[in-house]
Amino acid sequence: MNRIYIVRLLKEIQDIMDENRDYLIELDSVVGDSDLGLTMSDGFAATYKAAADSDEMDIGKLLYNAGKTMSTAVPSTMGTLMASGLMQAGKVLKGRTELTDTDIADIFEAYLEGVANRGKAKVGEKTFLDGFDPAVTALKEALNNGDTLADGATKAREAAEKGFKNTTNMVAVHGRAATRGEASRTLEDPGAAVAMLIMKAFENSTVE
Amino acid sequence: MKKIINQPENYVNEMLEGLYIAHPDLITYTNDDLRCLVTANKKEGKVGIATGGGSGHLPLFLGYVGKGMLDGCSVGDVFQSPSAEQMLAVTKAIDSGAGVLYIYGNYNGDIFNFDMAAEMADFEEDIPVESVVAGEDVASAGPTKEGEKNTRRGVAGIFFVYKCAGGAADAMLNLAEVKRVAEKAADNVRTMGVALTPCIVPRVGKPGFNIEEDEMEIGMGIHGETGIRRGKIEPADQIVDEMLEKIINDIPYVSGNEVAVLVNGLGATPLDEQYIVTRRINQYLKDKGIKVYRYYVGEYATSLEMAGFSISLLKLDEELKGYLDAPAQTPFFVQL
Repeated sequence: MNRIYIVRLLKEIQDIMDENRDYLIELDSVVGDSDLGLTMSDGFAATYKAAADSDEMDIGKLLYNAGKTMSTAVPSTMGTLMASGLMQAGKVLKGRTELTDTDIADIFEAYLEGVANRGKAKVGEKTFLDGFDPAVTALKEALNNGDTLADGATKAREAAEKGFKNTTNMVAVHGRAATRGEASRTLEDPGAAVAMLIMKAFENSTVE
Repeated sequence: MKKIINQPENYVNEMLEGLYIAHPDLITYTNDDLRCLVTANKKEGKVGIATGGGSGHLPLFLGYVGKGMLDGCSVGDVFQSPSAEQMLAVTKAIDSGAGVLYIYGNYNGDIFNFDMAAEMADFEEDIPVESVVAGEDVASAGPTKEGEKNTRRGVAGIFFVYKCAGGAADAMLNLAEVKRVAEKAADNVRTMGVALTPCIVPRVGKPGFNIEEDEMEIGMGIHGETGIRRGKIEPADQIVDEMLEKIINDIPYVSGNEVAVLVNGLGATPLDEQYIVTRRINQYLKDKGIKVYRYYVGEYATSLEMAGFSISLLKLDEELKGYLDAPAQTPFFVQL
């Protein structure tokens, strides 16, 4: 795998955010200011375009620049978090032009780290991380057990879906939802929904 | 919606165009981007001070760029953070070798973007950057506990942080020292506000919430964030007393302390009313034995056409008094 796969992955994410724009707006209107569907579809569209238009072979730089593009296109809270994930993945992959399956897991792990560091959040606080973290763990486990990337991606997507559903058992600590305290518990977290969608896009990217 | 605007999409850029026309001696922009505002009088060797944030709060944030205060400001859409890229452009333009201090309000969008800009400044440009986050609205959260992060919103009190840090930088203190002064001001300022009417984001076209004709909301934030109490409107003296009680019990401010007082209109409250408020603040603080070093009355941090006001108190020592007194000249504030 090389830059062509990364561009494909970003295309899948763009498509899924576009398809789910209204779904995310709906989720976000309950707890936030309902712009999440717009920022995610605009942001990942800009990201894909930046990567597709560039002839950068260094996958690290490709991802870092894609992240910077997103941060400029949608400097909202969630836009900046997603940009931070891409930029961290870029830093970890700097100098690489070819990728193994394990490198893909490393990309997602770095993405997770970038988002967590920027948002100063932990798993269990009803955020993006609660969808993404279990997915990364599932992917790494699957690859360690000798699964194909496609099988690992399916397990990651399943774990993200489960993680997203689990956010209805968590009290919000961050953002506007946090001001509701205990009343936030039964709400689905829109950030975790974004994590679930990214993992669905990842699964799509592994299908021929 | 009744506003004196053209296309809502052009609101921010047309506002900026007007500002550059009116104040060419004080401000300009960098990176071919109207939203990357910088001082027209860069002082070599001085620590640069940058701020940034959403539009809709003039004179905040950009209005304090000039001599003796801030050196740059990245400007976002109404109530939206500017991008890290814009912050980085401002950082590069105002750095003159002594590093840059970011001072901004405690909102997630701004924090994430300024943190990212600081990393990019370090990683890509080798510019040392430090940050001070202002969060002093006592109505927005309880006092910060030891070891926990401050969750209070930043509002009008950031003006004092700008003024003190600006004075320190202008006196050619180094980055660590300017940061220390900014932190001291941020630690010693508290604010509380009251809103009488909502505000309208131009591109949205209608209020995001409603306040009944005979009601007020004590503690409402400058983007309309929920306050601590909604009730019938009361006489000015009663409103002031309720707000000051919350403020002075917070740090606390006690008899013998000396303070600077900022009475800030939120956008649609007449100056007359702000001076009625000032009168009561003076009576109240006198009763408590708190001495007022200086009053600042007017619009310092607004929320579009929201009616209401806020009160900020800065507890002073000799050092902070010196920096308040230091001369400054910006589009919206002059200290002779």
